[in-house]
Amino acid sequence: MDFAYTPEQQTLREEVRQFIAEYVTPEILAEVEESGVRSRGPKTREMYQKVADRGWIGISWPKEYGGQGGSRIDQYIVEEEFGRVGVEVGGAGSGAPAILAAGTEEQKKYFLPGLIRGEISFALGFTEPQAGADLAGLQCRAVRDGDEFVINGQKMYTTRAHSGSHIYLMARTDPEAPRHKGISIFLVPMETPGITVRPLWTIQNDPPAPRRTTYGDRRTNEVFFEDVHIPASCMLGEENTGWYVGALGLNLDRVGASRYLLSVQRDEDIINWVKENDMGGYGPSQDPAVRDRLAELWIEAQVCRLMTMRSMSLVERGGTFTYEGSAEKVWAPEHGVKTTETIAQILGAYGQLLSSSEDNIEGGVFAHNLMGAFQSGINHGSAQVMRDQVARRGLGMPRG
Amino acid sequence: MDVLPSEEEQMVKNLAREFLEAESPPRLARDMEKDDQGYPPELWNKMAQLGWFGMSIPEAYDGQGLPLTYLALILEEVGRSIAPVPFHSTVVPALTIASDGTEEQRQEVLPRVSQGSLIMTWAFQEQDPRLLPEAVQAQAVADGDHYVITGTKMFVDNFNVAEKCLVACRTAPASADNQGISMFLVNTNTPGISHTPLVTLAKDKQSKVEFNQVRVPKANLVGELNQGWTVAQAMLDRATVLLCAQMVGAARKDIEMAIEYAKNRVAFGRPIGAFQSVQHMCADMTIWVDGAQLLTYEALWKMDEGLPASIEVSQAKAFCNDKCQAAVRSSQVLHGGMGFMMEFDLHLWYRRVTAWTMRLGTSFEHRARISKALIDQPGKVWLGMDQIPVA
Repeated sequence: MDFAYTPEQQTLREEVRQFIAEYVTPEILAEVEESGVRSRGPKTREMYQKVADRGWIGISWPKEYGGQGGSRIDQYIVEEEFGRVGVEVGGAGSGAPAILAAGTEEQKKYFLPGLIRGEISFALGFTEPQAGADLAGLQCRAVRDGDEFVINGQKMYTTRAHSGSHIYLMARTDPEAPRHKGISIFLVPMETPGITVRPLWTIQNDPPAPRRTTYGDRRTNEVFFEDVHIPASCMLGEENTGWYVGALGLNLDRVGASRYLLSVQRDEDIINWVKENDMGGYGPSQDPAVRDRLAELWIEAQVCRLMTMRSMSLVERGGTFTYEGSAEKVWAPEHGVKTTETIAQILGAYGQLLSSSEDNIEGGVFAHNLMGAFQSGINHGSAQVMRDQVARRGLGMPRG
Repeated sequence: MDVLPSEEEQMVKNLAREFLEAESPPRLARDMEKDDQGYPPELWNKMAQLGWFGMSIPEAYDGQGLPLTYLALILEEVGRSIAPVPFHSTVVPALTIASDGTEEQRQEVLPRVSQGSLIMTWAFQEQDPRLLPEAVQAQAVADGDHYVITGTKMFVDNFNVAEKCLVACRTAPASADNQGISMFLVNTNTPGISHTPLVTLAKDKQSKVEFNQVRVPKANLVGELNQGWTVAQAMLDRATVLLCAQMVGAARKDIEMAIEYAKNRVAFGRPIGAFQSVQHMCADMTIWVDGAQLLTYEALWKMDEGLPASIEVSQAKAFCNDKCQAAVRSSQVLHGGMGFMMEFDLHLWYRRVTAWTMRLGTSFEHRARISKALIDQPGKVWLGMDQIPVA
């Protein structure tokens, strides 16, 4: 057991913090606020280039594809520090781990450097109107036509569809096969003719959620595919193995800083806030009930951190998850909800003031969190499905 | 950063498990509940031969000089097997002698503990059960070459078989300089000591110990006069994290029994483990015990690195109290009426884990320590920070 970051990693964290203090300016934060965490305005792109120049994006990816061949934990540190200020950089959710695991040489050479330069980003095209948690029920079709596939169907809650360059698309390639065995993954440029994106506005849009909000996304999308012709070389992994390639991507996606921070940032925020704010003489920091709850939340947040560290330790050892990623995905989001709802009871009526309100607290982030925190227990595998996985895959319990 | 046990650590744990599975069946725990001594000397001697009691005692005193983590991994397995031995109560004061005792005290105590020929215990709690210096009211008054101890100590583990007891006493009122506490190593056969066995939930051996004008040589003072709170605090932290390890081990075995039961018990035409409501309970139980284990390991690691660890210890114990309890309660629920039956073994684990939640600090006490550090110290806190400011 070793729970320490190496001296080099501690230095890296310091360097990243200094970089953020210097380059992540209020203008950039305002731009992120305006365009959404997952999009990038011109100033943000400039800053992002500086991050890339320092070799901080794709640290754990192999050198031959533009990465640093470094450790997953170094990458985590960079993502964590940027995540704390509400700016997303590279790494998790990029699709890269799955491309590295299942992609062709050509795909790796094309996508990874593009991801590092910030020219490529993926929208996750899994969910459909009739297939969310029960993903294997998806109906979007990809039919082979010589060297091409023709795609028809619809995707739903595709958050980055309007800002990403590509969609990481899961489609049915063999309707006759058993549900899980007739699915393939395609990496499809969003500009391909026949793709239409329609916005879906979330409950965080009016007024807009502040950038650090848990699931503060103002917009997601529906994506329609009408006779979309793509070269067969867009396929990731073997035909009809998409379920497994996709599951690999999701599992790796659950490991890392962004998923972790979603669930624990409000713990740090509220403790640091009550230390500085006495609410007109109330002094919540000296209220014994509040103190007990804050300590309880802190402990649970530590468990979130340690479960993330466990997952990363497993990855670093080259081991495979049996249930650890899923366990993390049950515990952390539910903790985030508990924290968010506890904060509401600490702040009382001030806790309801949204981002555009006079007298709001911390830009309304706590109020907006009440509309977003529960979402993290739904997206990318619901807590209920995750519990199924812990029980069945981890504990070997029988199927019903 | 690698939070999983290393190969060596895992090996020590596996060997301990193998040994205890063979040597300490639940039957033994049941028998010892009714036994006057409360432990089987044969098992105790075998453990001594394996070097377990001296695991973290320096090699100069016949120990193995290994980090506390190794001792904790053994105690995790002891918890798993609910082996009825005065292991925890012996190593806790012994390690305090190792860290704070005089050379004479070390020579007198440590080799014998390593060899298994000395059973020990320690006494801190009193009528005010909190683990705070102000709760210590038992007096030790200087008289020539002796201190004279008078007072009542509660919940003293295995006092019935202990030869020596490390006792926290008040030697002065609390002042700006110190808490006025001193620690004494007392032979339990000293005139003036009497004890009454307590009947506990875990059916373990705890005593109420009365000290009536008990004369203890001055040479038995452990640490400095009036500075004993520092010694006691370190001892309590060590005791607490080792108890957390035991709780994690016992809770893990307990939920494994419930998961196994759920896979086999058929109701409504299928194993109850095929119902999602049951599966989700089992998933949660696993997640809780995993969390307790990770927190415990981190606290141990910090201690072994010589870093302040009191906040990490409190994190682990508060979480163990709440979540190991919830896990073993869920196991009882999953077993239905069977778990309520004396002849069925599950309650052996339930009763111990539950009792341990009340030992060495309640959730409220530990969370108070944490909030004090997080809130009352200046500066921003963040998760994963090197050092949480200590209150």
